[in-house]
Amino acid sequence: MPTYADIREARVHGRMAEAQPDRVTMRLLVIEDDRDAADYLVKAFREVGHVADAANDGEDGLAMALDGKYDVLIVDRMLPKRDGLSVIGTLRDKGIETPALILSALGQVDDRVKGLRAGGDDYLPKPYSFTELLARTEVLARRRRGRTEETVLRVGDLELDRLSHQVRRGAEEISLQPREFRLLEYLMQHAGQVVTRTMLLENVWDYHFDPQTNVIDVHISRLRSKIDKGFSQPLLHTVRGAGYMIRDGAR
Amino acid sequence: MTALGKLFRTTTFKLTLVYLTVFALFAAFLLGYFALNTRRLITEQITDTVNAEITGLSEQYRLGGIRRLVVVVDNRARRPGSSLYLVTTFNGQALAGNVTALAPGILDNPGWTETVYHRIDEGETSEHAAHEALVRVFQLPGGFRLLVGRDLDERERLYRIVLSAGRWSVAIVVVLGLLGGFLVTRRVLRRVDAMTETTRTIMTGDLSGRLPVAGTGDELDRLAGNLNAMLERIEALMHGLKEVSDNIAHDLKTPLTRLRNRSEEALRTAKSEAEYRAALESTIEESEGLIRTFNALLMIARAESGQARDGMSEFDASEIANDVGELYEPLAEEKGIALKVEAQTPTKVRGNRELVSQALANLVDNAIKYAQPAGTGANGAIPEIVVRAFNEDDRIMLTVADSGPGIPAADRSRAVERFVRLEQSRCQPGSGLGLSLASAVARLHGGELSLQDNNPGLKSVIALPRGGPVQSAG
Repeated sequence: MPTYADIREARVHGRMAEAQPDRVTMRLLVIEDDRDAADYLVKAFREVGHVADAANDGEDGLAMALDGKYDVLIVDRMLPKRDGLSVIGTLRDKGIETPALILSALGQVDDRVKGLRAGGDDYLPKPYSFTELLARTEVLARRRRGRTEETVLRVGDLELDRLSHQVRRGAEEISLQPREFRLLEYLMQHAGQVVTRTMLLENVWDYHFDPQTNVIDVHISRLRSKIDKGFSQPLLHTVRGAGYMIRDGAR
Repeated sequence: MTALGKLFRTTTFKLTLVYLTVFALFAAFLLGYFALNTRRLITEQITDTVNAEITGLSEQYRLGGIRRLVVVVDNRARRPGSSLYLVTTFNGQALAGNVTALAPGILDNPGWTETVYHRIDEGETSEHAAHEALVRVFQLPGGFRLLVGRDLDERERLYRIVLSAGRWSVAIVVVLGLLGGFLVTRRVLRRVDAMTETTRTIMTGDLSGRLPVAGTGDELDRLAGNLNAMLERIEALMHGLKEVSDNIAHDLKTPLTRLRNRSEEALRTAKSEAEYRAALESTIEESEGLIRTFNALLMIARAESGQARDGMSEFDASEIANDVGELYEPLAEEKGIALKVEAQTPTKVRGNRELVSQALANLVDNAIKYAQPAGTGANGAIPEIVVRAFNEDDRIMLTVADSGPGIPAADRSRAVERFVRLEQSRCQPGSGLGLSLASAVARLHGGELSLQDNNPGLKSVIALPRGGPVQSAG
């Protein structure tokens, strides 16, 4: 089970590929007017092996994003010269579909809806943890690289058929509750990527609030007991301090 | 500003002046109309009488000649209150009649004239003023002229009486109107001044002040009553705000202090990297708790201020009950609690699905937190939490019933008040704001959260009006 500390260590020792084999380097643009926050993000992204640039106001950010060389944009909602939503709106008008993640101090439901409507692809209220931001950014980047809507998802010997709603591991049929099925489906769609508890709550349950107790953990452990119990090779991993990842450990 | 000047500038006084002018003009018009008509009527009567007499006298002349006419005229002229008569020859010599001193040339113009005259019996002395009369001169055959007239004194006297009555009444209207206006204005001004004075005291910070209510139930009283109700609400809000800031201070300062203490302790005592790491991790954990509390507080504040009314739509409460039940069921099971959902369909309600879900989730979360561990329930049975959704009259109810220790009856109503937290809940993990948030969400929807006895345990009830909040609520 790799933690980000492990990943960082691995990178420091040049063992990045070993820590997370299917991680691909992303090109990121951070548009954030708070220089400290921007520097912190750029540094943190570089540390885990990505390429990151920073812009300190909306106009600069727009100009840089217009090049379209980036995989993901990380856009603060409130920016000098040009509002974050307007930056994204302008890009979309010009046909530039680079995925954008909005950072905002306004964490309310309707603000998030506004952000997504303006062309944002994800929304993260401040203060956020870097692991959460990283996990979401990687999901967006992969979506950009194009994910075909496969009908059968496979991780190792685990197989999920989205049409017949059947799950099997090896030769064994696994029976799942509808919600467990959706949970596993989401995890397998993002196989090899860290998926945070908030992401699961948002995408599997469609809730955008904090349920106080970590109810997700219990759902995960139920799912784990169904798909991993009795198999020598565990597939569903806990990433300490971040979330979960489904991954074929044998690769 | 002088007191009088202030008085004249008031709305009441201006209104009084307008009404006064209207009434005075009306009175003058009415009396003038009356006077003119009376005068016209009297004149008509006079001409009728005179015409009739002339007809009669010319008939006498036709029958008996000038001699008979003179006799008749003399006769009539001597009666008291008689008309005026004069019969002359063609060259103006008087033959009979009771008038003299006519203006010269009158007899030459047959027809109607208004003229000054003296009666013969009065003589032409100065103590008897000249009278006015309306006369008609009639040319008789044979060159004789007949003059018949009536005195106009009566008419003029009546006219004068009406005119002077008119002048007096207008004067009285003006005086009384001004006086009344002044008094009413002064009374209103006094009450408004008292209100202004009180308002000023209140504005300087004494929110306990209230406007005086005279008890007459007039519009000023209603205004004062409404302003007082508003002050009541403001005072309650201010009080709430103070309580809120105290609670926020407590909820945020306690973990901040803990955070700081741990960091300081780590700086002081940590020796290895592992110890530093552990301290940093606990710092992050603590800050996550802080963020959670802060978010909950913001959410409550938003719900309380009614800002979240935008995102309302129709949804089925039973779905929420099922979803939330499904979300928490594994957690309950892990703790040895049976979580059941009994949802009636349809239970359609208008509101914010996300917020209602969050409120219900908080209640379930609370119930799980406070439920007795397995085996310690009554008779060693498995403790149970039941989530229900059902219709009741024009409301939909979402209830969460547990068999935990409950909340003492005395604390129950206090527990759902804005931001109030019972002492024991402050020690529990989590933001501890679950009840406050659920209550704020219920109020946002025009409903309420109530806590009831579940014998044993606690039953939390969210009641929501089916049609969503009435806009005036809150």
